[in-house]
Amino acid sequence: MSNYAIEGHGLEKSFVKKRTFRELLRRPFGEGERVSALRGVDLAVERGEIFALLGPNGAGKTTLLKILSSLILPDEGRALVGGHDTIDEKRVKRHLGLVNSDERSFYWRLSARQNLRFFARLYDVPGNRIDARIDELLTRVDMMAAADRPFSGYSSGMKQRIAITRALLHDPPILLMDEPMSSLDPDNARELRRFVLEELNRRDGKTIVLASHNLREVEVLANRVAILVAGKMRQVGTVDEVRRWGVHQRRYRLTVDADTLPSGPFEIVSREAGDGPHRFLLALEAPAELPQLLDVMHRAGIAVLGCDRVEPDLEDAFSRIVATEEGS
Amino acid sequence: MISLLLKMWAFIKRDFESEVSYRLAFVLQVGGMFFSLLAFFYMTGMIDPDSAGLDGIRPFDWMLVGLSFQFYFSAALFSFSQKIRGEQMLGTLEAMLVSPTPTSMVIFSSAAFDFTYGAIRVMIYMAFAVLVFGVKLYATGLGAFALGAVLTLLSSAGLGILSASFILYFKRGNPINFLLSGATTFLGSVFFPIEQLPAWIQPASNYLPVTWSLRIVRGSLLQGKGFAELQRELLALAVMTAVLLPSGLICSKFAIRKAKLEGSLVHY
Repeated sequence: MSNYAIEGHGLEKSFVKKRTFRELLRRPFGEGERVSALRGVDLAVERGEIFALLGPNGAGKTTLLKILSSLILPDEGRALVGGHDTIDEKRVKRHLGLVNSDERSFYWRLSARQNLRFFARLYDVPGNRIDARIDELLTRVDMMAAADRPFSGYSSGMKQRIAITRALLHDPPILLMDEPMSSLDPDNARELRRFVLEELNRRDGKTIVLASHNLREVEVLANRVAILVAGKMRQVGTVDEVRRWGVHQRRYRLTVDADTLPSGPFEIVSREAGDGPHRFLLALEAPAELPQLLDVMHRAGIAVLGCDRVEPDLEDAFSRIVATEEGS
Repeated sequence: MISLLLKMWAFIKRDFESEVSYRLAFVLQVGGMFFSLLAFFYMTGMIDPDSAGLDGIRPFDWMLVGLSFQFYFSAALFSFSQKIRGEQMLGTLEAMLVSPTPTSMVIFSSAAFDFTYGAIRVMIYMAFAVLVFGVKLYATGLGAFALGAVLTLLSSAGLGILSASFILYFKRGNPINFLLSGATTFLGSVFFPIEQLPAWIQPASNYLPVTWSLRIVRGSLLQGKGFAELQRELLALAVMTAVLLPSGLICSKFAIRKAKLEGSLVHY
């Protein structure tokens, strides 16, 4: 059995762009222009990891998730989920659950319990296990008390918890989550992050593929990150590896008793002036090291009151990677 | 097989639970059915009982069968496509299609409640007809009626699945529904016998399943005809079912694959 929960090999997908009325009149039977959504995407998601797909809008994240869940077929390449080719829909779907941010994907006049009973049948949960399974999951997501109220009356946070419950009905080892926290307030988003990380990943050992633009969410949750830009997989690595991508300067935050700094092997990125000590964010030029920086300050008679290493930011890394792709 | 039936039952239960959340609408519909029967009762009083094509059946009884089954045929023609389009718009289609239930099963089952409800409406019409309007139904033709009903269900489902395939493929209202619902009403002996139309157009009705379904229902329930007397009609309907149902299934398979390739399966 493969070590990977999910694999993608050379995945290509393009869609036909909708034609304008004028184009339809000009060439009624011609095919419209094709737009590439995925261009030769390879990926390998290890069992039990949280793998984040980061990318700007239209990067191809949702297309990739839809290919993995057998909702659309790739033009080229193949994807394996739980070791099964996505063409083998039934087996693939038994291995995964999909959570998206679309609140509309339930019957609003029915209660959560009625909705879940319906979907449990579709997910092949044995009839004699359905009610117990629903109760177990509703308890875990803290929705038991509200389970018999109409879905229309739930808050966004409650709807999202029911969406997760639905994806877990058949206890799949793999969860695909498409922007699951996009409509949640900060408290609900934090609670959901905790649930995903502590309960689903660490306790249940589920492999999770998370598509998101929320960098904070990705930093907290993901073991590894892939950055998709214009349908191409640009970078894949741990959050730290991706953060450091393209960073050739180390940054330090220096607290000093002077309001100006002498010249040296560094660049001043920003400064915070106040009544007391001044704080400078410095980018050290390679190959200079911290002792050289401190030596420069010492020689200029500047007292260094504090010095912290500033780790590269995922947001900056993301912007750098997107800019590199757009410039290429 | 049991699993498939249980899934179909889940669809029926889901729609029933949605429907009963609009209780008043259901009561008003039953009231509406009664008044439409009342209107037809007095209207058919103006029709000559010896008109061609009535086969000696009282005009009201003859039209009652057409009226009550008209809803059933409409459900068959429209419900697959309407349900699929409705689920696409609700956003629930994607949630169903990521489950291990085959797409064709989702499409087929989505209309199960409408078929069931259509059958219940037929029974309500018949109950009104017998209890209030004194229509006499024959039990001797029940066997032929039951077989005719099954064939009607399957042939209508074939047409309905063809229609749903259009929705999946084109994303818009489809030409099959418009054509067939018009043709059914006009040529299918629903509200008047085909014999009332010019002779040159009458053979066209033979190509509509509804024509044969209604002949079986009228013959069995209103005239007490059995298998032997209705064998021609049953055979014709069986042939149509054998063509329409596989055609619908093949087209839906093709439409699903095309929609998956285009990435438009859950779009509207």
